[in-house]
Parts: sequence; structure tokens; C-alpha cells
Amino acid sequence: MQRFFYFLPSKQDYKKKRGRDALITLLLLILATALSFLYFDISQNSANVALLYILALVLIARITDGYLWGIFASLIGVVCVNFLFTYPYLALNFTLAGYPVTFIGMLAISLITSAATTHMKQQMQMLAERERLLVEAEKEKMRANLLRAISHDLRTPLTSIIGAGNSYLETGDFLDESQKKELVKQICEDSNWLLNMVENLLSVTRIQGGEANVNKSLESVEEVVSEAVIRLKKRLPDAKIHVQVPDELILIPMDAILIEQVLINLLENAILHSKSSQPISCHVEVEVESIVFHVRDYGIGIPPERIRTIFDGTPYTGNPSPDSSKGMGIGLSICKTIVAAHKGTICAHSCPQGTDFAFSLPQTTESGGSHP
Amino acid sequence: MNTKISIVLIEDEKNIRGFMAATLTAQGYKVSTAPTAKVGISLITSGCPDLILLDLGLPDMDGIEVIREIRTWASIPIIVISARTQEQEKVLALDNGADDYITKPFGPSELMARIRTALRHSNRLQTDSLLNQRSYRAEELMVDFEKRLVTLAGSEIHLTQIEYKIVSLLAKNSGKVITYDTIISNVWGPYADDNNRILRVNMANIRRKIEKNPAEPHYIFTEIGIGYRMLEDKES
Repeated sequence: MQRFFYFLPSKQDYKKKRGRDALITLLLLILATALSFLYFDISQNSANVALLYILALVLIARITDGYLWGIFASLIGVVCVNFLFTYPYLALNFTLAGYPVTFIGMLAISLITSAATTHMKQQMQMLAERERLLVEAEKEKMRANLLRAISHDLRTPLTSIIGAGNSYLETGDFLDESQKKELVKQICEDSNWLLNMVENLLSVTRIQGGEANVNKSLESVEEVVSEAVIRLKKRLPDAKIHVQVPDELILIPMDAILIEQVLINLLENAILHSKSSQPISCHVEVEVESIVFHVRDYGIGIPPERIRTIFDGTPYTGNPSPDSSKGMGIGLSICKTIVAAHKGTICAHSCPQGTDFAFSLPQTTESGGSHP
Repeated sequence: MNTKISIVLIEDEKNIRGFMAATLTAQGYKVSTAPTAKVGISLITSGCPDLILLDLGLPDMDGIEVIREIRTWASIPIIVISARTQEQEKVLALDNGADDYITKPFGPSELMARIRTALRHSNRLQTDSLLNQRSYRAEELMVDFEKRLVTLAGSEIHLTQIEYKIVSLLAKNSGKVITYDTIISNVWGPYADDNNRILRVNMANIRRKIEKNPAEPHYIFTEIGIGYRMLEDKES
């Protein structure tokens, strides 16, 4: 019952609809009458006049809401047929043979059509509603998944920070200088990692309501790449990154802060998870309609069954110790979200040695109107 | 006589205020702290500090308003403290008279570098000495403002008029971030189109002339969404 009420339009809507329905009913009846006159004039036969009215009736019942207009139209129709097209003309004669049959027939047709239409409309609304609920549930599920993954990822470093802080405060007297320093260093490392995670999450909030809602402006690719590398090197001073950009200046529409975040995530993953001392290579290629950013490591590689779902944000269950790759999944799924919001694509390929992560951004906005 | 440089720190977060004050004191600065803009402004008016560190997100007043108010009567260097994603606010702060900004989180070394730069520039302005005309030197790059000459490792770099204007503006303000708008109005005049595409193109050309690898700049750094910052020159 509640669902049914949900569909009841507001009073104002209702009034507007009634006006519209009345207009439609009137128009169709006039049309039917006019056509009947024409037909009657030509053929002097009233047999098919009723059919024209029935046609109008079906249409009215189909288009208008509820039973009211159908019943009303069938009454008018019967009267019109009686008054205008049956002998005696321009006079009502309800004693005509077969008259009740015509009347009941028209009324029945009107009622049945109205009922069928109303039912159909209700079902359509129900279907739309069910679809909306499904989409909503899907979104909710994704949100819950992300939240679960984040909470899990946040808990580990927080536990370690609290532990290190507590042991410094409570047992500090028994620790020597180097042990104390080690504890503080650990706190710094974990909080840095946490901050990076929070910045990732914050960057997602810059994408409002999904695709095509990024705040894009023309940015120079080399500046974004170099800024990302500099920021990463600030956090990981020992990182070895080989950067190369095309000779000509490339300006493409993007939210630079977000793309920088994508680059930083990819570079950081490459450095932390490739387990290789060979420098990471970061280069940019120009293609016909897009710019492709590559982050290539020469490390241990990623198993094929993992690489397929690597951007999905699901924690990797095959890993014997899940904490050893903390945050990797979320970072990459955020990369995917950002790139998708720019209408680009992101993918990972296994190479003979190491992995190549690449993402492309379109050279121009789809409308092409952003260029000055 | 106490010759310690005095700094007023306006920051509402107690922990951040605490660690910053500790760092600054350890570096030999005299620090007065204020948790709100009102307290901060009264500290500044009564003490006339050498430098102001201002957090943009204060509870009682908009940080931009604080800068405007201070700028009505003093040219004390102001360094703004802000979060990374607030580019718009940073640009607004810089355009309203802040000297520089520092992004949270920052380490003590970064904070000290920003403070030194800001103090150095304010000294130059106040004494109006010939220092302003001194050449810029950092690593292998040299900019001679009198001869309008730019050299890299001793050999001359040929820049166009516009490129030289940009480089010299950044070099004179080395270590400080200069917003896109400031560069554009200084180089192309106040009525120039505020489309910074032409600035990007010129900057790309400059980088190809003075940087070994334009993707790993050594002298001119980009502050995305805000402006450019040139490597601080080797003074003293």
C-alpha cells in the first residue's frame, strides 16, 4: 500500500493533469464527431460511426489517467451517436432497438481499456522504481566495500603508531637512544603513509557525482609529471626514477592535482612493490587522440590472476600476508576512478621483466569547445 | 640587546602550534603564538614581529581577511600555512599580499627555508640596497640583471625578451612562489589576457634552454595551479 501512495502525484500535479486529460478527451471527441459527420455525409451510413467513437474512446482511455475520462467519453459518445447519427436526427431516443447494447458495449470497452492502461502504467512505474533501487543498492555495496577496505588499511598503521607512542611513553626509561629514535621513525613513516591515504581519499571527493564532473583546465603535461616526481622524491628520497617527456609542449585538459595523484600512486607502487633496485621509468607518449603516461618497473612482476582485478579495489586474497601490500588496492582503484572521470583508460601489462602501468587521457574535451 | 628574530604564529590546532613553536624556538627564533585571528592581530600590532606564520583555516576570521587587515598598515612578511588541495585559497592569499605559502604537512627544514627566504626578501626591500641589482646565482645558473645576461655553466643562454622578463622576475624573487597572474601582469602588462597558455609555452621554452631534462627541473619548479618558484640563489 505504501508503494502505491508513493506514486500519487502532488495536488498541484494532479490538477494540472486533470486539465490536460479534460483537454485531450474533449479534442478526441470533437475529432471523432467531425470525422463521423464527414463519413456520414459521404456514405449516409451510421453503422461505422459508432466504430469511430469507439476508436476515440480507446485512445482516451489509453492516454488519460484513471477511469473517469473513459466513462465520461463513453457517455458522450453514446449520446452523440444517438443524437446526431441515428434516426430521428437531432433528437434523443433511448428506446431505439439495440441501443442498450451499444451503450453497454462502449462503456465496457472504455472500462477495460482504462483498467489495462492504468495497470500498465503502474507496472512501468514499479519497474522503474525497482531499477532505481537496484542501482542504489549497487552503489551502496561499492561504498561499503571501499569503506571496509579503507578501515582495514587505516587500522594497521594506526595500531603501529599508537603502539610505538605508548611504548615510548611507558617504557621510555628502559630504552636507549637508538631504540627511541627507531620508535619515532616508525611513527613518522606510518603517519606519512596515512596522510598519503587520506589525500588519495580527499582527491576522490574532488570528483563530484562521477564522470565528467572534474574541474578541468589546460595543463602542461611535463609540469604535472615533474611535480609528481618531485613530491614523491620528497617522501621517498631514495627513489630512482627516470623521467622522459616529449620534446614539444603538450597542453591537455585535466585536473592537475588529480592526475598528479594518479602518477604518484603508480610511481609509489612501482617503487615499493617491485622489489627491484633498478630505476622506475616514467615516460609520456603522444598518440593521435590521446596522451599516454607510462610507469614501468623492472621488478618481480604481478601474477596474471592478480593483474586482471588489480584496479578493482578488492584486497588480494592470494597474498600470504595481507598487510605486506597495504593500500595498494585502494590506491589503484582511486587511480581508475580519477582516470575514468577524465574519460581516459588505465591498464597494466606484464612485461618480460616487471610491469607497465599505462593510462591515457584524451587530448581534447569531447565537445572540443574548451580550447580558446 | 636581544637580537632574536621574532615570529608570530597564528594557528588554531594546538598540536601543530606546539610542534611549530618548538621547532622555531630550537632554531633560535622568538615565537609568540595565537590560537585565533583576533589574538594574533593584537600580538602583531603590539609587537611588530619580523615575520608572521598564518594558518588559513582559523575559527574566528577568514585568513584572507587577516592578510588584508595586516597589509593595510604593515609589510611584515606573511607565510601562509595551508592544506594541499586548497589551490584557490593559496592563490587568493598570495594575490592579497601573502609572501609565500607552505603546504601541510611540512618538515622543519622546509619551514626554515621558507622563513629564511621571506626574511631575506623583506630585508632587501627595507634597505633598498644594491642587493636588488645583484646577480642571481644558483648552482650553474647565473642571471646578471644589469647586463641582462643569463649564463649556464659559463656559457650564455639566448632568451627572447619575454623569456628573459620571466626568468628575471623569478630570479629576483627566487625561493618564493610567484603566481601565474603576477607573472602575466608583470611581463605582458596589467591588461593582458589572463589565459596562462602563453605563459606555459614560454616556460616550456625556457626549460628547454636551461634545464638538462625539462621533466626533472632543477631551477624553475612548478607549483601546480598556483605558479612558479625558482631555486633560491646562493647568497652569503
